[in-house]
Amino acid sequence: MREIVTIQVGNYANFIGSHFWNFQDELLGLAESPESDQVFKNHSLDMDVLYRTGETQQGLLTYTPRMVSVNFQGSLGSVSSRGSLYNQTPAKSLDVMTWKGKVTTHASEPLRRNLFLQSLSEEEQELVGQANDLDNVNNNSQAEIQDKDIVECLESDVQYWTDFSKVHYHPQSLYELSGLWADQDFDNYGLGKEAFCGHQHGEEIDDRLRFFIEECDHIQGIQCVVDDSGGFSGLSAMFLESIADEYPNVPVLLYNARNPSLHMDSKGRKQAISRNLHDAVSFSRLSELCKLIIPVGLPSLSGSRASQFLSIKDEKPYHSSAVYASALHSFSLPFRMKQSGPSAESICTSGALDMYGIVQMLAGQTRQNMVTILDVAMPAPSLSDRAQQSFLGNLQPLTPDVAADVEDFHAVETMSIHGAVTSGSQRASINEVKDAVEAAYDNSVTRPKFSHLSASTCPLPIPLPFPLIFGKMVGQHGELLETPISGSSYRGSLEVHSIPMATRLRSSTAVLPFLESKLGNLRRFGIERGALGAPLLQSWGFGKDEVEDLGEVLSKMVMTLKPYPQYSSDSD
Amino acid sequence: MSSIQLLNPKADVSRHSQALSININGARGLQDVLKTNLGPKGTYKMLISGAGDIKITKDGNVLLHEMQIQHPTANLIAKASTAQNDQTGDGTTSTVLLIGELLRQAEIHISDGLHPRVVTDGFDLAKKKALEVLNKFKISQKEYNKEVLLNVSKTALKTKTSRKLADQLAEICVEAVNIIKDDSNKVDLHMIEIMQMQHRSENDSQLIRGLVLDHGARHPDMKKSVTNAFILTCNVSLEYEKTTVNAGFFYKTAEEREKLVSAEREFIDRRVQKIIDLKKAVCTDSSKNFVVINQQGIDPASLDMLAKAGIVAIRRAKRRNMERLTLACGGQPVNSFENLNASVLGYAGQVYEYVLGEEKFTFIEDVKDPKSATILLKAPTKFALNQLKDSIYDGLRAIKNVLSDQSVVPGAGAFEIAAYHELTKYEQTIKGKARIGVRAFADALLIIPKTLASNAGYDAQDAMVKLLAEKDSQVPVGINLETGDAADAEVLGVYDNFVVKQQLLESCNMIACNLLLVDEMMKAGLTSLKGPE
Repeated sequence: MREIVTIQVGNYANFIGSHFWNFQDELLGLAESPESDQVFKNHSLDMDVLYRTGETQQGLLTYTPRMVSVNFQGSLGSVSSRGSLYNQTPAKSLDVMTWKGKVTTHASEPLRRNLFLQSLSEEEQELVGQANDLDNVNNNSQAEIQDKDIVECLESDVQYWTDFSKVHYHPQSLYELSGLWADQDFDNYGLGKEAFCGHQHGEEIDDRLRFFIEECDHIQGIQCVVDDSGGFSGLSAMFLESIADEYPNVPVLLYNARNPSLHMDSKGRKQAISRNLHDAVSFSRLSELCKLIIPVGLPSLSGSRASQFLSIKDEKPYHSSAVYASALHSFSLPFRMKQSGPSAESICTSGALDMYGIVQMLAGQTRQNMVTILDVAMPAPSLSDRAQQSFLGNLQPLTPDVAADVEDFHAVETMSIHGAVTSGSQRASINEVKDAVEAAYDNSVTRPKFSHLSASTCPLPIPLPFPLIFGKMVGQHGELLETPISGSSYRGSLEVHSIPMATRLRSSTAVLPFLESKLGNLRRFGIERGALGAPLLQSWGFGKDEVEDLGEVLSKMVMTLKPYPQYSSDSD
Repeated sequence: MSSIQLLNPKADVSRHSQALSININGARGLQDVLKTNLGPKGTYKMLISGAGDIKITKDGNVLLHEMQIQHPTANLIAKASTAQNDQTGDGTTSTVLLIGELLRQAEIHISDGLHPRVVTDGFDLAKKKALEVLNKFKISQKEYNKEVLLNVSKTALKTKTSRKLADQLAEICVEAVNIIKDDSNKVDLHMIEIMQMQHRSENDSQLIRGLVLDHGARHPDMKKSVTNAFILTCNVSLEYEKTTVNAGFFYKTAEEREKLVSAEREFIDRRVQKIIDLKKAVCTDSSKNFVVINQQGIDPASLDMLAKAGIVAIRRAKRRNMERLTLACGGQPVNSFENLNASVLGYAGQVYEYVLGEEKFTFIEDVKDPKSATILLKAPTKFALNQLKDSIYDGLRAIKNVLSDQSVVPGAGAFEIAAYHELTKYEQTIKGKARIGVRAFADALLIIPKTLASNAGYDAQDAMVKLLAEKDSQVPVGINLETGDAADAEVLGVYDNFVVKQQLLESCNMIACNLLLVDEMMKAGLTSLKGPE
């Protein structure tokens, strides 16, 4: 078994993480529940890769994500930063024994827990109640909270990422940057750098990570979800720098995402320059510090082809983060598949890969391109003959500024398909998936130089706290229907129980426009003589040479992909 | 002015007296919040967040970060206070109080029509004079004097913990610094590890002459406690991994792959074998033991080999602990196992593991002549632990400051009183309106003893009258918070750091002057400062 440690930095990253862990929790729950489908009971996915087993001081066993989350102070809403598993005495000893003088108490209004969180804690109390066989009357008298109400309540009001999280976290997992509040100005790279160094935050965060890594017998890598739209990218860069220093042999896979609602407000020119420079600087810095970078975050997810079967509201992070989390879940599935020998084929999974393997495959071959495009089909179309043509066509990028219809004969890609269906809602076997993908490649115009397929029979389970984002064409098991369902056009976890997913990571020249725009912006606003943004970069702590280095990093990436290196310094 | 509005008609502009009053209100608002914290009789604040998380603090700096400060002026002052903390580790509450008071005193005169520039000129003169007074007032400590160090750290700790606990913690702090200081009294506080254990009663806090690690051996067969142990401190990977450079395995058959994998494995095994060989060489009889502490990983196969050889192995040690370890136990950290020999080994009389739920602690004790130490804090709740940790930091910083300043300043408001007397004399020698500023500065300094007195439940005016009456006293006169009377600060055993007072005068004066000289405030882009009216 090879462990993965997950890092989530920034508010939006934690929204994604919250959905991601909800999926894992749902998988764990379904595997134990007697009513659930066979594919969930026997998925041959090793959850220990992501989770750790622990023990409270009372000797109770715990099973919690191996995860470090970093966010603003006060971003946890009504959830305590120490979680609820390891609380020994329910906070009765409020007296301060270390001080004999006066103490004044300043209590904030306890945050109201929403219906969902209320129902969670009620469920737990019920369990305790049943075990102790008391107070049953009390529980019955309370009105049952209906699932329907919960879904609606979440739909209308999610403020914090913890509002829809059903997972118990370890006390070491959730780190709040004390002194840094969400309403503070924290929108550029420079501010994040300062925040990491101040108040020993950096040291404390490193310690949290070390706690999880020390436990690992044989860590396969770190998956890092970063909200790179603001100061958190600077903070992550500092964090990743210390990781590279401390754990030089551990590969880091970076998934940087951003909230689509951010793109909506375009302010003055000055803001635009700052924004463009921030994007270029943070992308350049972050890419240097990881082995593989997967930039995602479309300016408008709702209008993109990736969400053709979904109805997303861009202004709601609860909505959009669900899509990014689903994609994260899908492409990271191969890390958890049990490695089988060459002869023994599992009937549930195939194509296991470890993080090192995926890095080697995509970024380590002839072309050393470590910027990867993420395509997703959510839900994945059926594999039946008629739809085969469209199978590859349904994979649409979540990475912004990607060129369509690029002929790249050196492309390398790895696909992950899980829970695929053949006609109707019939589950496809692993071999059927393999054949279908092979056929799809045969029929397509260009074929990548190298491709890899990971497949699993286990679909993406939709947990109760999930937004109403499925359109009219999606059936109960995520199959695409011929005729739209009548009734409400927004469907969520009550109507759709699981969906098949397909994701593809590809290393291709299609990412060039993305890279070139970053490089162009950095040159135009930061490097050229008299560039408008040069003083700004200086205030973020970048000297002239360092800015040129950043440009160098970007132009190297561009050059790797360009067949004819004519893009050398044309700025002079 | 009009040009600004031309550029951005939506900008919110405040001018002259209006701008000044925004600044003064911000400063005084902060002052009001933090006033009750000051001194050993100040009030602790227990902060309970919306999610029920508890934090208790009395530290001005911590409080400032807990408050969501929106007011730009208050924000500026908070930054000054943070700088004070970073530089000296103390005086954060005083900073806020003094800035607020300087502005308040200035306001009185400015509302009478005095130009702010005149006031700030006076402030600058007064600050220079006050620094002179401070230099005369300080008591040199060229030699290492345990008594004085104890008093200084007690003074710092008593403002944060109960008297009994402060005495105990002060002993720990002084002892810890004594262990880590070098011959020229240079102190690197990083060489003191502070370890928290959520357990039992807090009076159990203790100093460990050696090191406590927050993790333990990860193999069931390794001994939980060994004596007479050689310590190998290393930073070498004992984990099988594919090489990280871009060179994959190239193989044709499954057997070939197996062979490559086992060759890689052998590479690691050889490293482990080197440790085992060294152990066999030095542990000549069964009373001697061997402990490996590695900064990098050790995988189960390697652990297994080590366990079989009777070696205790601890992996993923903190980077900083590598330095502390060799300072505590001797030996040298090793980055490669080439030419591994006994000269790099350290020694500890006892190494044992302590388990608390899922938390493991490894104690490395009984070391010869340690140059690093661990302060082990125990408390029943997380918030109490954090409170202890903050207090310990203050105690340690205070000692470090004395050693680097080579001097102390009598506390309990004694310096402020002395400076007040000197400044009132100085005022007479100044011609022109600047003397008003000097006067204002002198008055503002009294906020410190006043607040100390009122926090202890005495009438601030009464106390001031008593203190100022001792004008011709030859000893530093401070306030005795038990009686409310004037007393000799040295007899009380209350000492402050020189650098704290120095920084305080410099930064408060600077911020106050800057704020006073603001005569126009423009806010654009964000929501209005004044809010809806």
